[in-house]
Amino acid sequence: MSTQSTERANSTDQLQQAVESVSLGRDAWRRLKKNTMAMFGLVVVVVYTLVSLTAPILPIHSFRQQVLEHRDLPPSFTKTAGELWYERERDYMLLVMEKEDRSTFSASEQAELDDIQQRIQSETREINGEIVMVHTRRYVLGTDHLGRDMLARIIYGGQISIMVGMLGTLTSVLIGVVLGSIAGYVGGKTDYLIMRVVDVMYGLPYMLLVIILMAIFGRSIVNVFVALSLVSWLVVARVVRGQIISLKNSEFVEAARSMGASTARIIFRHLIPNTLGIIIVFATLRIPAFIMQESFLSFLGLGISAPFASWGSLVSDAVERMANTPWQLFFPAAAMTVFLFAMNFLGDGLRDAFDPHSTNRR
Amino acid sequence: MGRSSLERPFLCIDCAPNVALDGSCLPHSNCPLDGNCLLRHRGAFIIAGMTQYVIRRFLGLFPTLWVIITLSFFIIRIAPGGPFSREKELPQQVLENIEAKYHLDEPLIVQYGRYLFDVVRGDLGPSFRYLDRNVNFYIFSSLPVSMFLGVISLSIALIFGVGFGVLSAIRQNSIVDYASMSVAVIGISVPLFVIGPVLMYFLSLRWGLLPTSGWITGRNGWVTLIMPAITLAFPYFAYIARLMRASVIEVLHSDYIRTARAKGLHELVVIFKHVLKGALLPVVSYLGPAFAGIVTGSVVVEQIFRVPGLGKFFVQSAFNRDYTLIMGTVIVYSIILIIMNFVVDIIYSFLDPRISYK
Amino acid sequence: MKKTLLVFGLVALAASVAFVGCAREEPAETAEVSAAAEPVEFFIANGAEPETIDPHLASGVPEHYILMGLMEGLVTPHPETANATPGVAESWEISDDGTVYTFTLRDDAVWSDGVPITAQQFVDSWIRILDPETAAPYAWFPTMFIKGGAEFNAGEADAGAVAVRALDDKTFQFETVGPLPYVLGALSHYSFAVVPTHAIEEYDDEWTLPENFVGNGPFVLEEWKPQEQLTMVPNDTYWNKDKVQLDRVVFYPVDDNTTMYNMFLNGEVDWATDVPQGQIDAAKLRDDFQVAPWLGTYYYVMNNERPPLDDARVRKALSLAIDREMLVNTVSRAGEQPAWSMVPQMDGYPAIDGLGEDVAEAQALLAEAGFPGGAGFPELTLLYNTNESHKAIGEFIQQQWLDNLGINITLENQEWGTYLASRRAGEFDVARAGWIGDYQDPNTFLDMFVTDGAMNGGRYSNAQYDALIEEAATMPAGPARMAKMADAERIFIEEDQGVMPIYYYVNKDMINLDAWAGWYKNVMGWHPVGDVAAN
Repeated sequence: MSTQSTERANSTDQLQQAVESVSLGRDAWRRLKKNTMAMFGLVVVVVYTLVSLTAPILPIHSFRQQVLEHRDLPPSFTKTAGELWYERERDYMLLVMEKEDRSTFSASEQAELDDIQQRIQSETREINGEIVMVHTRRYVLGTDHLGRDMLARIIYGGQISIMVGMLGTLTSVLIGVVLGSIAGYVGGKTDYLIMRVVDVMYGLPYMLLVIILMAIFGRSIVNVFVALSLVSWLVVARVVRGQIISLKNSEFVEAARSMGASTARIIFRHLIPNTLGIIIVFATLRIPAFIMQESFLSFLGLGISAPFASWGSLVSDAVERMANTPWQLFFPAAAMTVFLFAMNFLGDGLRDAFDPHSTNRR
Repeated sequence: MGRSSLERPFLCIDCAPNVALDGSCLPHSNCPLDGNCLLRHRGAFIIAGMTQYVIRRFLGLFPTLWVIITLSFFIIRIAPGGPFSREKELPQQVLENIEAKYHLDEPLIVQYGRYLFDVVRGDLGPSFRYLDRNVNFYIFSSLPVSMFLGVISLSIALIFGVGFGVLSAIRQNSIVDYASMSVAVIGISVPLFVIGPVLMYFLSLRWGLLPTSGWITGRNGWVTLIMPAITLAFPYFAYIARLMRASVIEVLHSDYIRTARAKGLHELVVIFKHVLKGALLPVVSYLGPAFAGIVTGSVVVEQIFRVPGLGKFFVQSAFNRDYTLIMGTVIVYSIILIIMNFVVDIIYSFLDPRISYK
Repeated sequence: MKKTLLVFGLVALAASVAFVGCAREEPAETAEVSAAAEPVEFFIANGAEPETIDPHLASGVPEHYILMGLMEGLVTPHPETANATPGVAESWEISDDGTVYTFTLRDDAVWSDGVPITAQQFVDSWIRILDPETAAPYAWFPTMFIKGGAEFNAGEADAGAVAVRALDDKTFQFETVGPLPYVLGALSHYSFAVVPTHAIEEYDDEWTLPENFVGNGPFVLEEWKPQEQLTMVPNDTYWNKDKVQLDRVVFYPVDDNTTMYNMFLNGEVDWATDVPQGQIDAAKLRDDFQVAPWLGTYYYVMNNERPPLDDARVRKALSLAIDREMLVNTVSRAGEQPAWSMVPQMDGYPAIDGLGEDVAEAQALLAEAGFPGGAGFPELTLLYNTNESHKAIGEFIQQQWLDNLGINITLENQEWGTYLASRRAGEFDVARAGWIGDYQDPNTFLDMFVTDGAMNGGRYSNAQYDALIEEAATMPAGPARMAKMADAERIFIEEDQGVMPIYYYVNKDMINLDAWAGWYKNVMGWHPVGDVAAN
């Protein structure tokens, strides 16, 4: 049935690929629009991407500026950071009082509270060249353990996570497409060699390989997704190879070949565009997997370097503090889950849209 | 292995474990064809006859394994640091003595030859980190633990995954469908290292229902199994539920189900007798790699719940540069993966009426 | 349908086989426990899986806690002070020049298999750890003390060169390389342990397996299931067995700090050997949170060879610009003390003042070095091993340098193996480091920074400093020696700022001291389980 689907697609205009792929794309888009969940996913993904891209001009606090007095403040729309700071200190003193069986603040505690009151009223600080009344800030999603705004960290964390997901997918797709199409089109020994490499890499425990690669090449955001994509190009290679083999003897390739087109031209101009649909589907479903894997790397301490953060590193940092400062875990985890939700729905939708034989779409 | 002549125009695409070592494709939830590539093409694949097929599969294992061993042996030696690095750095003299004891001062190729020779005899060598026992001991004492936990988790995932998958499919777009699919997506998008501690926090600390951690052979016995099994089962449940739903929907639209319905069979009969059987195929295929992944343990679950399993070693041995233990885990993982894919193919042939042996 | 059933059948069969397999493994432990009359059991969450219980191969803290229960050396640490008290040796004499130690072993010192402990076994044991073929990681420790030890360990001399002898069955004597005042304290370390040479001869490498194990400590090994638990029960042949109150001690390896803390809160363990950073605030409110100064310093190593850090003014500026009070109060928060000196305060050695903190002076020094206001200062990298607390401290210091000096740094965390390799090779600008003293003397903090020292990753080098350390090494105990040490440290810290001390460590434990007696806070963080008793 799947062969039929490709044939059907190819039968429109086998010599003019451009025309054909547009019609295929338009066809898919028409089907996608009908799928509510997928459209919802698309909107969410677009919004997330826009927010990440425009983060530097959004009216949010710095994601790395520490205001240590403001550490571990809970989320609040109504109260200023100063008020929350005072409450946090006072509540902790009350607990200490209870432990020590006292009923009044000690002199030093009282002095400290008065001092805080004083500073809330008047203290200013220079942040990014501006003098601000720092304690009148509001943190709608609370702060982390070093007094940094959670909202800003989640937005910038999203930037990193989405980038890892997209660049990682892009890299793995590129490697996979190139190697897969070479293997499929050239065939013979080349094919055998490439496919044996793929087999061997499947047999290796995936995380072990990533850890060793990270150790060899050092730690940086680039290496995070390079290491991840180095071990995930395998599937793309396999898919593309299969596609190419099924297409390489079709009439339109014969025609191109008889017109004297080079191997590279046939692969890149005629064969790869034909496999684009399935690659797009693959990529969409791959991005959430990359984001999850990055979070696992963060859990192992191999993720992004401080003071930058990814959703994964925010979540893994906060797990330990879950009982005391649940908002530090909840908000990044929720942000991540919603994005992955959306990405999965979008992927499912695209799959249905690009794969005409699937019955899911109706 | 002569696989290049057997081509499939469409293959499932997603993460590595879903493709068998021999190049056959194992479908799963993210398969754009809902696992149907296998349905269509596996038939052409097993033609040579059972015996020949088994022999070929078995013989094919060795060269792959050899390449995997060789490759990992040299890759891990490139990583900086060695198994004997400590916070209190060892003086040069002491380090030299230790390296001499473990033959780490010899040329790499000699070490490789020595290692290969030992492996052929079934000796995976001494651990460079855990000095009182060797790699064989650690692997064979921890693998059964991981396997046991894995089988339990996978059974939970299978029962609930298939159940909710079928329910979602026959009540498509209902509340049940949305609810179970939402849970499934959470299973795919919330990391295990969050699920585990959250469970522990509520079940142990807040409600005091279960001991925090431990293993069935310990003081608290069987109840320690509950949390690790649930945590580990969650993502697998999610995959299976999504896979099952898609697969059941596909089968429901197929001609033979229409025929069955047209014959006036009771809906339950249709579902249990016809739909389920066809729809289970992709799930069975998924079980092979899933099993290989789950029985070799999960570092997250084992660390959090103190399960004395194999999964930890995949990560810790790499961090410790415990060369022999890394190699041991790689070998075990590869063998299990290969065997499981093979077993799945066999089970598959029983389920799929279109495959027959000559 | 049949085939479907078959699949489920197979899965169920596999599950049941595994069930049966595991059920058989389960020991009758629970039954035993209920049979005994109210046995007192002590459960410990003990950090990482022990790497070995051979005292000559061990090198970590979890192993140390276990070995304090299983083995005893010539002397044994006092639970309150960690000072040396008589162990296998009932008395000893030190020659007037402080280099010859003669120990008299007690008559009732025997191994757990009844074999008496002889002076010859001490000789053989110490030769064993020094033997290059044993390849003991801690061999460097005895080589610092015992005459001829370093030569033998390096393969330059044979075992006969090591100055240890058995004068008779119960008299053991050794010579030290000089009048080192800290020998006795060091002797309770496991690298000076006596090992059952008769058992090692019989079982070779397998002597540490539970069925073969022979020890001489307050407890004997009962069971050791790797990754699961290690249990010990009182040793009937121990000379001081009356002091042992516990009926069983159970060590759980726990990799995850949060799990460890949860186990304690849930009453599953009696002593948790660490407290996760994220729970410090909550833990501090509890009565069973035990925090005590630890003989250790958290510091940053600066690469003394890489510009601009080869300029002492730059190093001083970096150190002067950190608000350590703020750091310990808001970031680490467990009660750590800010450190301006490498050596924490100890008996007879008050911590030196160091340079303290002064942002204005730091800015002036930086300008003097050619970077006014941080202009033109290269972006340095701060290296640390992957860990929540190191990361938070690094982020704090990054911010401080940016605010106070106008310089930007990059944080780089590496996983353990890579980090150690980089630090050893000097491949860093600034690196996080920590040092826990091996014995209570300033020398354990200072001798590693001599030129070309194995642990001197920052490549600090000052001939004057080297000379002072060498002089102090051969001086008899007393204020003069301490003064010499202090002079050396002043050169190291106040003149050169060779490293940047940040805070003195504290030991964090969870244990309810109302329920358990015999567990004391001490600067070494040593808590012998043999002295623990239920209240």
